[in-house]
Amino acid sequence: MILLILLAIPLGAALVSVITRNDKTASTVTLLGSLFVFALSARAVLTVISSGNHSLTAIPHWVVLDSLGALILILVAFVSVTASLFSTGYMNFKKNGGTRRYHTNFNLFIFSMLLIPLIQEPNVVWISVELTTLFSVLLVGFENTHEALEAAWKYVVLTLMGAAVALLGFLVLYWAAHTAGVENYTWAGLAAGAPNMSPVLLKGAFILILVGFGAKVGLVPLHTWLPDAHSQAPTPVCALLSGVETTVILYVLLRLIPVVTAVPSIHAGTWFVVFGLISTGTAAFLLLRVSDYKRLFAFSTVEHMGIILTAAGIGGASAHLGGVLQMVGHAVTKSFCFYAAGSVLLLTGTRDISSVHGLIRKSPWAGTALLTGGLAIAGAPPFALFLSEFSIIRSGMHPGDYLAAGLLILFITIAFFAIMNHVSRMVFGTGTEKPAAAYGKLPVSVKITLIGAVIPIILFGLYIPEPLHNLIKLASAAIGG
Amino acid sequence: MPDLLTNLNELSGGLFIIAAFGIVAARQMRGCMIFFIFQSFFLAASAFIMGIITSSDHLMIVGGINILTKVIFLPWLLSRLVPRKIATKREIVQVINIPTSLIIALLLTITAYFLTVPWLKAAPGADALHINVPIGLAGLLLGAYTLSVRREAVPQLLGLLSMENGAFFAGVAIAPNLPLMLELALAFDILIITFIAGILTRTVHERIGTTAVGTLSTLREEPRK
Amino acid sequence: MGKYLLFNILQVLTVLVFSPLVIGVLNRLKEIVQSKHGPGILQPYRDLWKLFSKDEVVSEESTWIFRATPYVAFVTPLFVTLLIPVLTSYPLFWAFMADMVGAGFVLALGGFFAALAAVDAANPYGPMGASRTRMVGFLGEPIFIIVFFTVSFVADSTIPYIVQQKWVTPLSNFFEPAHILLLISFIMLILAEKGRIPVDNPSGHFELAMIEESKDLEYSGKGAALMKWGGWMKFFVLMNIFLNVLVTPWGLASTVQLSAVLLAVPLVLFKILLFIIFLVLIESSLAKLRLFRISEYMSTAFIIAVIAMLTSVFTG
Repeated sequence: MILLILLAIPLGAALVSVITRNDKTASTVTLLGSLFVFALSARAVLTVISSGNHSLTAIPHWVVLDSLGALILILVAFVSVTASLFSTGYMNFKKNGGTRRYHTNFNLFIFSMLLIPLIQEPNVVWISVELTTLFSVLLVGFENTHEALEAAWKYVVLTLMGAAVALLGFLVLYWAAHTAGVENYTWAGLAAGAPNMSPVLLKGAFILILVGFGAKVGLVPLHTWLPDAHSQAPTPVCALLSGVETTVILYVLLRLIPVVTAVPSIHAGTWFVVFGLISTGTAAFLLLRVSDYKRLFAFSTVEHMGIILTAAGIGGASAHLGGVLQMVGHAVTKSFCFYAAGSVLLLTGTRDISSVHGLIRKSPWAGTALLTGGLAIAGAPPFALFLSEFSIIRSGMHPGDYLAAGLLILFITIAFFAIMNHVSRMVFGTGTEKPAAAYGKLPVSVKITLIGAVIPIILFGLYIPEPLHNLIKLASAAIGG
Repeated sequence: MPDLLTNLNELSGGLFIIAAFGIVAARQMRGCMIFFIFQSFFLAASAFIMGIITSSDHLMIVGGINILTKVIFLPWLLSRLVPRKIATKREIVQVINIPTSLIIALLLTITAYFLTVPWLKAAPGADALHINVPIGLAGLLLGAYTLSVRREAVPQLLGLLSMENGAFFAGVAIAPNLPLMLELALAFDILIITFIAGILTRTVHERIGTTAVGTLSTLREEPRK
Repeated sequence: MGKYLLFNILQVLTVLVFSPLVIGVLNRLKEIVQSKHGPGILQPYRDLWKLFSKDEVVSEESTWIFRATPYVAFVTPLFVTLLIPVLTSYPLFWAFMADMVGAGFVLALGGFFAALAAVDAANPYGPMGASRTRMVGFLGEPIFIIVFFTVSFVADSTIPYIVQQKWVTPLSNFFEPAHILLLISFIMLILAEKGRIPVDNPSGHFELAMIEESKDLEYSGKGAALMKWGGWMKFFVLMNIFLNVLVTPWGLASTVQLSAVLLAVPLVLFKILLFIIFLVLIESSLAKLRLFRISEYMSTAFIIAVIAMLTSVFTG
C-alpha cells in the first residue's frame, strides 16, 4: 500500500500544478510532495531491509520492491527532494514564466523514475523508461533557447531510437521466456527460468536491450545527446537527469545480469566490460577538451556509467558491491555537482569555463561548492566515489581482468586530471574579471540545497549509515555474487 | 484456408517492408506520412490475420488498437500539431541520395534476415515467425536509417515511429499474448511520443525558423568562435 | 504432333493479327478517358496499310543495319511467340527451344538492333533516343534478372509452362508475397520497357523529350510499318508473358482440341482488355517523370523485385 501511495504523490502534485493558478502553490506542493515521497521511501526501504525475504509487495508480480529496487528508490527520492528545493529558488530567480508547466513535467518525470524500481514486469519497465524520456524532454527544452531546443530534439530522437531497439529486445526476451515455459514474467521469474531459455534468443534480447538502453544511459557510440541534454536543461533537471535518470536506466541493465549469467555462452560480462571501458575512455579524453562546465559534469556522467558497467562486467561479489556503491556515490555527488554548477551559472550567466575565474573570491558559496563537487566527482580520497572506484579496481586485480582494471585506472586518472584542471582554473584562476558586484546573490533555497546535498557526499566517504550499508550489501547480492 | 492466411500474412509483411522503404525514399513529408500510414495498416493487417490463424481475440483487438491510433488518430494529431507549412513542404535536404539510400536499405534488410536466422532455428514455431521476425527487425533497422539520413523533424519522427512499428511487427508473432493492458499502454505511449515531438517541432519552427533539425550543430566540443 | 504445330502457328497468327487491335483499343480508351474525339479502334490497321503502300526512303549514309532492323524487330516477337503460352497452358511444338530467360534475350535482341539503327541513320534525335532507351534498359536489366531469379527460386523452373501453374496450385499461392510483388515490379518494368507513362509519353511528338519513339523517326514506308508492327507485337507478347505466365494461366486452353484453343483467343483478348483498362487508368492519372527521376522509378521496381525475392527466401 505504501508503495502505491508513494506513486500517487507525484501524480497528485502534477495534477495540482496543472490546475492551480498560483506559481507558489505549484512549487510548494512539489517540494512537499517530494519530501513525503522521501519519507515514504525511507520507510519502505527500512521495511525491505527488516522483512524476511527482503521485499515489499503491493501488487503481486507487478509492483514489488526488493533490495536492489529499494536502493534505486531511495536515491531517486533523495535527489528529487534536493532538486525540487533547488527548483523553487531557480524558478524565482529565472522569472521567465511557465513555472506551473515546469512543475507539472517535473512531477511526472519523478513519477516515471519512481515507477521503474517498483515494477517487476519487464515490459512495463520498458514503458516506464519511455515515460522518463517523454516527460523530461520538455524540461530539457524548457529554456526555449536555440541550444536547449536542439538538445531536446537530439535527446528525444536518440533515446527513443534506443528505446525502440530495446522494445524489440524485450519482445525477444518475452519470446525466449515463453518458449522456455517461464510462468511469471517478472525479473525474478526470468532469473529462475533463465537456464531453460534458448541461449541464442537470450543473447539476441540481451544485446538489443544493452544497445537500446545503452543509448539512454549514454554509452559511447550513442552518447552524443547526453552532454547536450544534460547541460542545456534547467539545473535541477540536470541534476535529476545526470544524477538519477542514468542510474535508473542502468539499474534495468543490471537487472539482466542474474538472467544472462545463468547462460555462460552469452559472455555478458565481456559485453559489459567492452561497452563500459569504451565509454569511460572516450569520456575521459573528451573531458580534457570541454569548454562548458555543465558539459564537463555531463561527460563525467558518461565516464561513471562506464565505470559501473565495467564493474558489472568484471563480476563477483566485490565488483558488484563496488558497482552499487559507485551508483550511490554517483547519484548523490553528480546531483550536487550540478547544483554547484547551477549556482555558478545563476551568478555569472555564462557556461563558458574560460570566462569564469577566481570564483572563490567572488562568491565563496559557489566556489567552495564547485571545488567540493569537482573533487568528489573526480574521485578524490575522502569522498564516496574514491572508495567505490578503489574497490572496483581492487576486484579487477585477478588474472583475466588485469587489462580491464589497468585501463580503468588510466581512464580514471585522465578524467581526474581533466576535471580538476578545469575546476581549479574556475575556482582559483585569475583573468579579466568582472567586479564582485556584477555577480548576483544566491537565493536562500539554493544555499539550503547545497548544504543538504553535500551532507551525504562527505558522510558516505567516511561512514555509511548502518541501514544503507545493509541495503547496499543486499542490493549487490541481488545482482549476483 | 490456413495456407491462404499464411500467404496473406507474408504478403502484408512484404508490403510492410516496402512501406518502410517508402519512408526512407519519399521525397516529400506528406509522402513519408502516407507510407507510414500504409505501414501501420499492414502491421494491423498482420495482427488481424494472425488473430484469425491462432483464433485469438486478443490479436484482433491489438489490430484494432493499431488502426485506431496509428492509421486514424496519429496522422490527425500530427497534422494538428505541425504547421501546415512544414507538412506540405518539399524536402530536398538529404544526406545521401535516394538510389544509394535504397541500396543501403536493401543491405540492411538482408542483414536483418541473417541476424534472425539463428533465432528462428533456436525457437521453431509458427510459420508466421519466419516472416514477421526478419521483417520486424528490418523495419527497425530501416527506421533507424531513416532517422539518421533525414534532416527534417517530421520524417525523423516518422522514422522513429516506424522503428516501433518494426518492433511491433515482430511482436505480433513472437509475443502474441502480451497482457492487453500493456498493448494499450504501448499505443498510448506512441501517442505521447507524437504529441511531444509535435510540440517540439512546432517550438523549434517558431524559435529557430527551420525544421531541418539534422543541420543544427551549435552544441559541440570545439570552443566556439 | 500435327496439332501442336497447328496451334503454334495459330498462336503466331493471333499475335500478328490482334496486336494492332490492342493498340487501337488502348488509344481509344485513353481518348474516352480524356474526352477526346479520336480515330476508331481500327486505326492501327489503316496506318499499317497506308505505310505498306508508300515508298521507302533510306539514307545513303546508312549501312545494312538500318535496312535489316525492321525485319529483326518484326521477327523477334514472333519468334518469342513460339516459346511462350499465348493460347495454351501446355507447351507447343517449338516451345522446347528456350525458356523465359531465352525469350527475354530474343526480345532484347530486337531492342538492341533498334538502338543500333537509330545511331546508324545519323539523325541527331536518333542517338539521343537510343541512348535514353539504353539507360532505361540498363536500369531494367537487373530487375529482369531478379524477377527471373525469384520466379525460378519459387517455382524451381524458368519454363513458363511450369511457372504459370505454380501460382494457382493451390490457389492460395496466388497471394504469396513473391507473386504479388513480382507482378507489381513487372508491370513497372513493362511500362518502362515499352516507353509508357510515367517513363515516356508514347503519344508525344516533341523529339527532344522522346525516349522510345525517336528511334523510329528515320523510317518510312515499309520499314516504318514493320517497326511499328514489331513494336506492337512486342507489347502484346510482353503482356502475354505477364498475364499468362506471371498472373494466372486462366483462360488458356488446357486440352489439345481445336475448339478449346479457338475459344482461348477471345478469353485471352478479354484478359488483355482488362489489363489495358488498368494501364489506361495509370497513364491517365500519372504525369511523365523527368528524365533524371527515371532512375528512382526503376530503383523502386528493383526494390520491390528484391523484396519479393527476400520474402520468398525468408519463408522458403
